[in-house]
Amino acid sequence: MAIPLVEITLAGAIINASVHFVPVGGAPAAMATSTGVGTGTTQLAAGAGFTGLMAAAIMASQKGIDLSNPIHLAIILLSGAVGSMIMLALTMLLGQLIYVFGVGVVPAADKCEKDPITGDYQKSYITPGTTGHAVPTVCFISGLMGAALGGIGGGLAYIALKQLGFTSEVAGIIAVGFFFMNAVLASYNIGGTIEGFHDPKFKKIPNGIIASFIASLLTGVIVVGMSIGA
Amino acid sequence: MDPTLLVLGALALSGAAATVAGCAEDLESDVGSQSNPNSQVQLGPQMGNIHRYFNKAISGEPVSYGLYVAAAGAVAWALLNMGLNVPIALIIGSGIAAFVHGAYSVSSYLGRIVGQSQNFGQPVYMDVVLSHLGPIVGHGFIAVFCMLLAAYLATSVLGNPFPLPLVALIFGITVGAIGSSTGDVHYGAEREYQKYPFGGGVPVANQGDIDIKAEYGIRNGMDSSYFCSKLGGPLTGLTFGLIIFLDGWRGIIGEIVGGDLVSKSIIAIVVGIVIVAIAAYLNRMVEVYARKKYGPYTDR
Repeated sequence: MAIPLVEITLAGAIINASVHFVPVGGAPAAMATSTGVGTGTTQLAAGAGFTGLMAAAIMASQKGIDLSNPIHLAIILLSGAVGSMIMLALTMLLGQLIYVFGVGVVPAADKCEKDPITGDYQKSYITPGTTGHAVPTVCFISGLMGAALGGIGGGLAYIALKQLGFTSEVAGIIAVGFFFMNAVLASYNIGGTIEGFHDPKFKKIPNGIIASFIASLLTGVIVVGMSIGA
Repeated sequence: MDPTLLVLGALALSGAAATVAGCAEDLESDVGSQSNPNSQVQLGPQMGNIHRYFNKAISGEPVSYGLYVAAAGAVAWALLNMGLNVPIALIIGSGIAAFVHGAYSVSSYLGRIVGQSQNFGQPVYMDVVLSHLGPIVGHGFIAVFCMLLAAYLATSVLGNPFPLPLVALIFGITVGAIGSSTGDVHYGAEREYQKYPFGGGVPVANQGDIDIKAEYGIRNGMDSSYFCSKLGGPLTGLTFGLIIFLDGWRGIIGEIVGGDLVSKSIIAIVVGIVIVAIAAYLNRMVEVYARKKYGPYTDR
């Protein structure tokens, strides 16, 4: 009982941290008025996280997988991380194509003078009156890190629920709800838009992690209680 | 038949269905003006732009599509368990979801527009409701049916352990997140603001100043759908199709090349990382191309 409880608590904290890495510009980004992907934090993180959750669940259902074997657990978590990264990488790439060829803007970040990864100057490429647009390399890499963490968090929660004896169906539904809960908590902490790990808002990440840690611990206690009663 | 071939065929069909679903979903959100760009349609009358766009941001696109596809999946799941054959169960499930979609669309349009009528003079155009409802529900039906087909293949052939309604819910949320992130940008940043020169984001000061004239006559949602079907819709479909196909394909590669369970899984993970690395490289190439082609602003 103790190990799944710890796993659920950690999973919540990881999911919350993951959302802070994903570059989302919210509604303004849909008009190329701010940097990042043009949708909401919770929505995009959940879309990527659920793809990872399904990849982890498919791996966990393979014949011969033993949930008490650390190597098998690592494989499940990595599968979740990679599934989630594929989803977000392709979404950011194809979104980028629309920004560049459909809207005609240059990918540019507003929260840094130079891209910390490529060293490219950003400010002079930003349309006047906007706070950047599209997905420059630093945002893309940050998004990949967030997706990997999201997949690991979702997979870890699913494994913990399976270890508590829930069927795949019930574990899947609880994991989806659990993911949403922590993604929404992170979204409150972010407050709308974030460009990635180079954004000053990213420094608020400890608050989000603490909030999710407490909420996930409480959820874990309830879930363990459910498993005893079931 | 070789089971690997069967799985590969199911995966290809699933990827094709996902591609059609993604495209139809994005075009539906353009006809009906859903998601983030609809904030501008909502803002238009307040800026003096009386328009004939449909207006139905029922909720975030992922949540609303999660609802439709899960509703369709739940009905289909029940019918399958009653012994009905698969195609008919999927079609009836998608049909029920289409009614749910239509009901939400009408109530959303009337509620949103009436809320703006008194203060900003935006009329309720009943002909807009009647003419747009068919394309909205039609595109929605295609999107939901294709996702439900992909979800059915995932649960029956591709080894997904979740029940059909849960996979349908997850696919609906994922396709909504993709449509909102990719295709909607073409509608929000370009189509709604075509009167401004091509090649820039929309400054905050111009927001709400949407185009109300079409190429011929007064613009409506169907004009937007026609325009976005040239780039936004197909790329949204391609995104969802590639995600479904490549995520499954890496597992099949592992299955063919690997020996025991651990080596198969590691190969699948490595193939996945290679796919992600290629996407990151292509993203950088597009970024470099745009910087060279469009250049910096020199007249600040």
